[in-house]
Amino acid sequence: MNALHSQAPASETGDEYAFAYLDEQTKRMIRRGLLKAVAIPGYQVPFGGREMPLPYGWGTGGMQVTAAILGGDDVLKVIDQGADDTTNAVSIRRFFSRTAGVATTTRTPEATVIQTRHRVPETPLSNDQILVFQVPIPEPLRFIEPAETETRTMHALRDYGVMHVKLYEDIATFGHIATAYAYPVTVDDRYVMDPSPIPKFDNPKLDMNPALMLFGAGREKRLYAVPPYTRVVSLDFEDHPFAVQRWDECCAVCGSRDSFLDELIIDDAGGKRFVCSDTDYCRQRQQETGQ
Amino acid sequence: MSDAPYLQPAFERPAEAAQQTFRAALRALAEPGLARPLPPTPTLERLAPATYALCLSLLDADTPVWLAPAFDTPVVRANLSFHCGCPVVERREQAAFAVLDAGDLADLSGFPLGSERYPDQSCTLLVQLERLDGGEPVAWQGPGIAGQRQVDLPLPGHFWKQRDLNGDFPRGLDVFFTAGQALLGLPRSTRCLAPIREAS
Repeated sequence: MNALHSQAPASETGDEYAFAYLDEQTKRMIRRGLLKAVAIPGYQVPFGGREMPLPYGWGTGGMQVTAAILGGDDVLKVIDQGADDTTNAVSIRRFFSRTAGVATTTRTPEATVIQTRHRVPETPLSNDQILVFQVPIPEPLRFIEPAETETRTMHALRDYGVMHVKLYEDIATFGHIATAYAYPVTVDDRYVMDPSPIPKFDNPKLDMNPALMLFGAGREKRLYAVPPYTRVVSLDFEDHPFAVQRWDECCAVCGSRDSFLDELIIDDAGGKRFVCSDTDYCRQRQQETGQ
Repeated sequence: MSDAPYLQPAFERPAEAAQQTFRAALRALAEPGLARPLPPTPTLERLAPATYALCLSLLDADTPVWLAPAFDTPVVRANLSFHCGCPVVERREQAAFAVLDAGDLADLSGFPLGSERYPDQSCTLLVQLERLDGGEPVAWQGPGIAGQRQVDLPLPGHFWKQRDLNGDFPRGLDVFFTAGQALLGLPRSTRCLAPIREAS
């Protein structure tokens, strides 16, 4: 559209798709939304979400963000619950390898763009990387207040007392804060944000992370962002400070005691093992320890 | 059409250059105060390559743009209309983007700042400067900056006052400073401390 004389091919990859599937006008709209999201950390920017060739709940929001930011020299990694080899991760990786022709990887340090569903990689991210989160319900206040007009006002007024009431109800019922994922955070001392359904184990990684973090919610049509080196604080109480999950066991495969572990039932007698949820991290540790 | 005297070239490879420009802009806003290079772009009269590149990659029919008098020429209007399809508006209140130069920074009133409920509905300023350094250093803090960053944009002192007047977080103006082929971001979230007087 910007070219005066040349009729540029619809795609550099030579197939029938525009680069990274979305048309240029849609990408511009998402890009403008992302710039506002970065300028107002933690604030949810409405955007004209498009229908993607897969159902809501499979990462349409994250895919639209990825499509808008992706360039020909990017290296893409996609994880689902930490794993590179699950259906959702494999199909999204193939989607962009077909529609954008970009290189893909499963190694965290090699990726420039990482699209993720429900985990932050264990390997520390660098300043040159962008982490794209798939978000089902972007509004942290939604379970308390169903009306969008009301939650907008609550954000405008910083009326976040109900979030603490919700956490307090946990304490009253269970004796501790039982919220284990999608644990609400305050971004740069202003907006309360849903970090997407990552385990609260990953919340500390959001704080002052060197990587840019972008969030896309496809069904709810919202974008939000946490810039690099931004304070992200998990909500808590003085007498019930925020704490992450701990395991008595270590990973059955790589022996890690520092990573987030999935519980696997391994026999009919209910025997169980724990393994790393981050498959790349686990594989890397196996190579290092020579197992 | 072919002999229209006004029309000038834009991006050679539109999809690619628009993406590269956007990524530089995203990074500039995510890490305020660091200058970022942009892909090679032609100039358009007084619009420097970086300013023109931002227009080409971000503007379209959905984004009314306000041009400062210095940039409001028939050629600029014709080319922005042709390449971007963006309406050029007369009133600042209607603008989603505005193109200014250093001389326009004495008065930043009138541009949309967004509302408390929708702070994203604010104007983005593209401010074209001669260069992105050599001015009085100002300490920037906030999201995107680990600790503190000294930025020495050559800006008139009244810019900082204007920025304070036209911003009450989360409402406010986001600024891209451009010079030549480079840009530097100043989002509303950045806290700029009073200029530091040098001892000399």
